Amino acid sequence: MGWIIKLDEGLGWLSKVCGWIACVAMILMAANVFYDVVARYAFNDVSIAMQEMEWHLYSVVFLLGIPYALRTDGHVRVDVFYTNWSNTRKAWVNLVGALIFVIPFAFLIGFYGYEFALDSYHMGESSGDPGGLPNRWIIKAVIPFTAVFIATAGLNMATYAIRVLAGDRSYETEHSGGGLA
Amino acid sequence: MIGMIMFAAALVMLMLGFPVAFTFGGVALFFGVFAQGMDLFAFMPYRIMSVMQNTVLMAVPLFIFMGVVLQRTKLAEQLLTSMGRLFGGLPGGLAISTILVGALLAASTGVVGASVVAMGLISLPVMLAHKYDKRLSTGTICASGTLGQIVPPSIILIILGDVLGLPVGDLFKAAVWPGVVLIGLYIVYILVLTRLKPETAPPMPEDPTRSRKQEIVAALIAIIPPLALIVVVLGSIFTGIATPTESSALGGVGAVVLAIIYRQFSFKMVWEAAKDTVSVTAMVFAILIGATAFSMVFSYTGGDYLLEEWLTMLPGEHWGFIILAMLVILILGFFIDFVEISFIIVPILAPVAESLGINMLWFAILVAMNLQTSFLTPPFGFSLFYLKGVAPPEVRTVDIYRGIIPFIAIQILVLALIVVFPEWFGMSATY
Amino acid sequence: QETFTLRLAETWGPNFPIFGDTTKRFKETVEKMSDGRIRIRIDSANKHKAPLGVFDMVKAGQYDMGHSASYYWKGKVPETLFFTSMPFGMNAIEQYAWFYYGGGMELMEEVYEPHNLLSFPGGNTGVQMGGWFRKEIKSLDDLKGLKMRIPGFAGEVFAEVGVNPTNIAPGELYTALERNTIDAVEWVGPALDLRLGFQQIADYYYTGWHEPATELQFLVNKKVWEKLPADLQEIMRVAMRSSAYDMLIQSQHANAEAWANIKKDYPNVKIKKFPKEIFQAMYEANKKLLKEAAENSEMAAKIIESQRNYLQKSRAYTDISERAYLNTMAEVE
Ligand code: NA
Ligand code: NA
Repeated sequence: MGWIIKLDEGLGWLSKVCGWIACVAMILMAANVFYDVVARYAFNDVSIAMQEMEWHLYSVVFLLGIPYALRTDGHVRVDVFYTNWSNTRKAWVNLVGALIFVIPFAFLIGFYGYEFALDSYHMGESSGDPGGLPNRWIIKAVIPFTAVFIATAGLNMATYAIRVLAGDRSYETEHSGGGLA
Repeated sequence: MIGMIMFAAALVMLMLGFPVAFTFGGVALFFGVFAQGMDLFAFMPYRIMSVMQNTVLMAVPLFIFMGVVLQRTKLAEQLLTSMGRLFGGLPGGLAISTILVGALLAASTGVVGASVVAMGLISLPVMLAHKYDKRLSTGTICASGTLGQIVPPSIILIILGDVLGLPVGDLFKAAVWPGVVLIGLYIVYILVLTRLKPETAPPMPEDPTRSRKQEIVAALIAIIPPLALIVVVLGSIFTGIATPTESSALGGVGAVVLAIIYRQFSFKMVWEAAKDTVSVTAMVFAILIGATAFSMVFSYTGGDYLLEEWLTMLPGEHWGFIILAMLVILILGFFIDFVEISFIIVPILAPVAESLGINMLWFAILVAMNLQTSFLTPPFGFSLFYLKGVAPPEVRTVDIYRGIIPFIAIQILVLALIVVFPEWFGMSATY
Repeated sequence: QETFTLRLAETWGPNFPIFGDTTKRFKETVEKMSDGRIRIRIDSANKHKAPLGVFDMVKAGQYDMGHSASYYWKGKVPETLFFTSMPFGMNAIEQYAWFYYGGGMELMEEVYEPHNLLSFPGGNTGVQMGGWFRKEIKSLDDLKGLKMRIPGFAGEVFAEVGVNPTNIAPGELYTALERNTIDAVEWVGPALDLRLGFQQIADYYYTGWHEPATELQFLVNKKVWEKLPADLQEIMRVAMRSSAYDMLIQSQHANAEAWANIKKDYPNVKIKKFPKEIFQAMYEANKKLLKEAAENSEMAAKIIESQRNYLQKSRAYTDISERAYLNTMAEVE
């Protein structure tokens, strides 16, 4: 059991790092869009690179946010029956779901996403628009990168469920960041 | 046929309470790999990339950020309670305020996820704190948060303009009255309901130390800052300073500025707001990604061809066609997302409508009204999921499902009015 | 007899006029000519969701074929830029002559082959319009700082003369132009521009210079192509060529009709040509950018050289034939 707890906490830490990166990207994105509007309106200055940076940051926000939201139980559930179930039952739903839904789904996205990004890297793909950003592979690589962390977050969901089954944790204490998510 | 079985399977699996996004993704994975093999999923990176490059969706995190900051700084609460006070002893004042704020947000974005979540953050806690009925609260928020799809600018109208070859400007103009009537009827419904069942929406308590006049003045002063923010967002769009998407960033930055003015600002607050934003944004986009896997499997296993076949069996006579076409879209809207309907179903219906001499502008508005309803229909209505994602745990999915029903009824009523009395809305049914 | 089903991914949405009609005609022709031995299944952008992923998907074999435009792949393979249309380049007849008789096809094969792809001309829009402007452009100064939606290489040329190329999501283009978030939009030509409603909000419609003969392309996965027996390959070739030709004449027809409608229903719209100093500046900018491209890649240098030589030769004849005729007509009418 001891190693499960260690693994669980280690995996949880990984998801938190994803969340941390996504938060930084979130603040940068708001600043980026704001800057672009002001530059265009007040100084009549447009940079396609900065405009492209907007969706690069936005992609990081929502992609790396997904593993983070898995750890904080931020993903919406249909709770018609779920809320009334015992911790054991919830743990089984989450354990099985993580193993047959989350991890295989993440695996396929990661596997094909890796080829997708690698191909872009080999071609030296860049933006086709005037003054656009080079190295398109970097943002494409965020897809397989995210998939890896969704998989670890899925594994984390499983380890947490095992802790609940062992009576070491319960789902009540973990509930979604206080109503928000 | 696989597509249809897959829908049934997803419905059952959703009830087990596993996160919606991964239930969609996982069910899609099973059916997809079973029917076509693993390589079908080589399309997934392209589909994820298309979400990443859909810059209109950038409004989702940005509006959520604005909503979270307004909520954390209590400015949203202040806006709504002051508006509620303006309505004085009127029961349902908060709900009406919610609808009005929702209408303003609707005029600044066409992205449903953005406005439903922002409204959920801003107004749900306030309504619940004032002992509003959970169903009334959630129904009001989902319905007014989804107004963005019919009130211009709207993504549905832009897509329909493209599919039907109609100028977007004409569609935007034609959608104004239906949107206004819808908002009006929502308010009428609240007024009627609270008269019949006052306990569902108690009036704001009066402050005994202040006169009614003082109360109104205080409320007006309190409304100004958050309302100014909304005016900035809307104004930046109307003056062309920003695109609708970019205006959401002005809203986010503006909310932080308000926080500074009202001495609620701290770096910790911004960081916590970013954390909430990331979590809620991820919830919305995970559903989009799960759903895109789902629709990928649906169409690549021949579901789109099957639908096409069924649709060719619609009758070729004016009223029969209109009624059945609307029914088909309404029912399909329960299961399939509006982009698919616009691209698969509408092009099949359009030539038939045209050959019957039906005014395509009118037809497009009917379809758009119908499609915005599809965001609200249980069990797959995305607005319902989004609100559930930001609601406190005591608000159950069932509350949201039940709460939305009267609003769906209102929408069907307005749809029927546009069908029967197009001239009321400044349109004609035929050329 | 063996039958083949080829899956074709197109960059356009379903029922996209002219462009989409081309793939539909291609499909019909192939299926009839091969007596059903080849079936074509067309997937539009709403199905594969990757309008600009067609190159990669055909390359990887997820699709057997694609219908798109070569210049979209400029960010991946810079030399693909030259097979669509170039500013101040050849017109449609000249460019088709270059492809089929002037060595263009061979050069295109050289560029695409390393990526396991074959590219064939896939239909032409004719001269594209220079864009919708809300204010009249009278001098180079009017272009300085002008915010315009103009992607790709033409955008680079515009940028050289002081325009600010700006990215706007297609769904927000109309609103952005209406509210002066941007000052100008380049799209295609009357038939397709009409659908987006720009004639309602912009008065000045400029004539084109940047895409005098936009050629679409059929992409075919090379391995798939090699699996087809010789007679079916020939059927494919003929069908691609005839549907490309059909698109050119359909463009002419649809644009003529749409332009007549715009003139009738929107008297506000005025046709304008940029003043000479602007053309001169853009001409120089274009030369400079081509020179840079040639320095960066031997292949690009070879293509630019071939196009320049061919343009020179065939334009000399165009001058005494088409141009002379149009000038004569202009004098007597
Ligand atoms: Na809207
Ligand atoms: Na163009």
